[in-house]
Amino acid sequence: MAHGHDDKNNSVIRIAMNLALTCFISGVIIAGTFAITEPAAEAQRIKAKNDAMRELVKDADSFKAIDGKDGWYAGIKGGKAIAYVVPAQGKGYAGVIQMLAAVAPDGKILDYKVLKHAETPGLGDKMTEPKFRNQFAGKTAKDMEVVKVPTDKNIQALTGATITSRAVTNGVREAAEAVAAYSAGQKK
Amino acid sequence: MNYWEIFKKGIFEMNPIFRLALSLCPALAVTSNVFNALGMGFVVMFVITANNIVVSLVRDYVNPKVRVPVFITIIATIVTLTQLILEGYFPEVNKELGLYLELVVVFAIILARAEVFAMKNTVVPSFFDGLGMGVGFAVAMVFIGAVRELLGPGTFLGYQVLPASYDGPLIMILAPGAFLVIGLMIGMFNVIGEHQAKQAELKRRAATAAGLVVQRSEA
Repeated sequence: MAHGHDDKNNSVIRIAMNLALTCFISGVIIAGTFAITEPAAEAQRIKAKNDAMRELVKDADSFKAIDGKDGWYAGIKGGKAIAYVVPAQGKGYAGVIQMLAAVAPDGKILDYKVLKHAETPGLGDKMTEPKFRNQFAGKTAKDMEVVKVPTDKNIQALTGATITSRAVTNGVREAAEAVAAYSAGQKK
Repeated sequence: MNYWEIFKKGIFEMNPIFRLALSLCPALAVTSNVFNALGMGFVVMFVITANNIVVSLVRDYVNPKVRVPVFITIIATIVTLTQLILEGYFPEVNKELGLYLELVVVFAIILARAEVFAMKNTVVPSFFDGLGMGVGFAVAMVFIGAVRELLGPGTFLGYQVLPASYDGPLIMILAPGAFLVIGLMIGMFNVIGEHQAKQAELKRRAATAAGLVVQRSEA
């Protein structure tokens, strides 16, 4: 502003250069910071994933990536796969809900963990609470239907968040089906 | 105007949400509980202060015709840096706020302060202006968040405050509830503001009246 407003300063080229220079400096700063923070962020992501798997399958001694199945891990105990941790997702009320589902080799759900979601706080985000989550334990794909009145065989929807409940259930059910199919193939 | 005055005006007189009615979108979206409101408040406080500093430093080099895109670029850079650092070193905070961080770039209040204040002032006053506006924003967010969280789920910062049997109205944690709370609070602040203006007016009159008396007695 201290510099004048004369025509020379306001030519299109000068204006464009001004903006281009700003963007260039900003790009350099961001790239530099990214180079410094990325290793730390990558370590955090791996740690978060390992923690999530350990939380889901507490008995496992170690986790092994499964060849040919992207993002699938087998929880190993005593040389045997006791559970599979597989990525699951459902279309929620506000975008995709990403989860990790832990499924026993017989297709029964152990637990799941929500990794990323944008559901309504206070309604949809109750899907992460044990009260809703525990309904899944021990169920197979055919027992997972969202209902409003609870029975032993079904999943009772969260109040005010039917879409979220369905999304989570569908995602987890697909994971259960996939694991059941996979472990059936393994036995042959 | 001294620094304290510059700082203070953002909190009440020119509170971004209650008096200027700017950045109402985050005030609706992120205030369904106190924790998120507080987190967002802190992020905005940091970004608005940092942006005011940067803008006041580079203002001589910015062509006035492209100042808005330049400001937006600066804000976006600061927000991206914040995001990268949070991701790398504070994953817990990043998990809670990650969703809303990118939105900070387009907050009207940040751009407004760059345009109205930092572009015309030196670094130190701009710092206090940004800090004051940021604190004002954070306080307003926590206010709205506290009312909504108390009336909705009956908790405060996640702790149960009202008896567990309290079944709050669902509307409070949805967007319409936020509209109601913000509307009522803006009304409340306007009433207080009017009252203060009236008081100041009375004081001024009293002072001039006293002045007249003095003049007369001197005469």
